[in-house]
Amino acid sequence: MTLSHWMLILLLAIAAFSIRVLGLFAGDAIRTSRFAWVLDDVPGLLVVALVASSLAGQSAVTWAAAAVALGVAYVTNHVILTMCVGGLAYAGLASAGPIWAALH
Amino acid sequence: MKHGVFAILPLASGAAVYGFAFGLLAAQVGFPWWGISLMSGLVHAGSSQIVAVEQFAGSSAVLGAAFAGAALNLRYIGIVASLSDILSGLSLRMKLVAIHITGDENWALTMAERAKTPRVGAEFLLGSGIVMISVWTVSTTLGAVAGASLPDLDRFGLGFAFTAAFIAMARGMWRGAQNLLPWAVSLAGTLAAVQLGAPKAYAIVAGACLGLVVSGLVRRKERVVA
Repeated sequence: MTLSHWMLILLLAIAAFSIRVLGLFAGDAIRTSRFAWVLDDVPGLLVVALVASSLAGQSAVTWAAAAVALGVAYVTNHVILTMCVGGLAYAGLASAGPIWAALH
Repeated sequence: MKHGVFAILPLASGAAVYGFAFGLLAAQVGFPWWGISLMSGLVHAGSSQIVAVEQFAGSSAVLGAAFAGAALNLRYIGIVASLSDILSGLSLRMKLVAIHITGDENWALTMAERAKTPRVGAEFLLGSGIVMISVWTVSTTLGAVAGASLPDLDRFGLGFAFTAAFIAMARGMWRGAQNLLPWAVSLAGTLAAVQLGAPKAYAIVAGACLGLVVSGLVRRKERVVA
C-alpha cells in the first residue's frame, strides 16, 4: 500500500468523523441557518457529477448501459438491483459487440 | 440493545452485498484486504468510500478523491443533529462512539421504530450500529480478499456496476423539478471539465459547485417571485 493509499484512508476517516462531530455540536444551528439548503443540495449534485465523470469520453456501450440503469433506478429506486442489472447490461452489451461483428 | 441487533439484520444483509462489491473494486485498484478493513472501520461511510476509491482509481488525486467522498457525507450533519434527543442521556465518549457507528440504515430504522415506540432510543441505535459497522467491515474485507485473487473484473461490468449505483443514488435524491436545472448544470459542467482535460476528481467538484451556484440563483429567484 503506497503513501497515497494511506493518505486517502486517513483524510477520509478524519473528514467523515469531523462531519459527524459537527452534526453533534452544531447540527441544529446549521440546519436552521440560511445556508441549510447547501446541505440538502450538495449530495445530489455531487452524485450527478460522479455519473457524468464516469460517462465522459466513454463508448456508446457505456452510455447505453447507463440508460438501462437509469430505467431500472427510475422504476425500482433500489441501489443493489440497479447495480446488478446495470453491471449485467454493460457486460452483455460489451460482449455482444464483438459477436455481432463476427456474425456480420 | 438486542432489539436493535436483530431488527437491523435484513438491512445489514443488503449492505453486505454492496460491501462485498466495494471490496472487489478496491482490491482491483491496489488496496490490500487489511487496508480496506482499516478504511471501513475508520471511515464507516459506504457511499463516501466508494466515491473516494473510484475517483482515486481514475486519477490518483488524493485530495480530490477525499474531498468528493467527504462532501457526499455532508448529509450526516443533519442525520447526527436529528439524534440529539436520543443521544442526550449518553456520556460524551458514548456519543462519539454512537455517531461513528451510525449509518443511513440504522439511523433510518431507529427513527422509524422510535416514531412507533417512543422508548426506542440510544440502546437500539447502538445495537443496530454495532451490527452495521461489523457487517460493513467484514463484507468489504471478504470482497477485497476475493478481488485480489481474481482477474480484471472491469470487463465483466464491475466498474460500471458502481456507475449504476451512483445513478440509483441520484434517483433516491431526486426531489422533483427544482433539481432539474442545477443537476443538468452539474452534469454538463463535469462532462466539459473532463473533456477539457481536468482530472476527474476535480472535474466532479467543479461540476457540483457550478450546480450549487445555479441552485442558489434559482432559490433566490423563487424568493423574489414569492
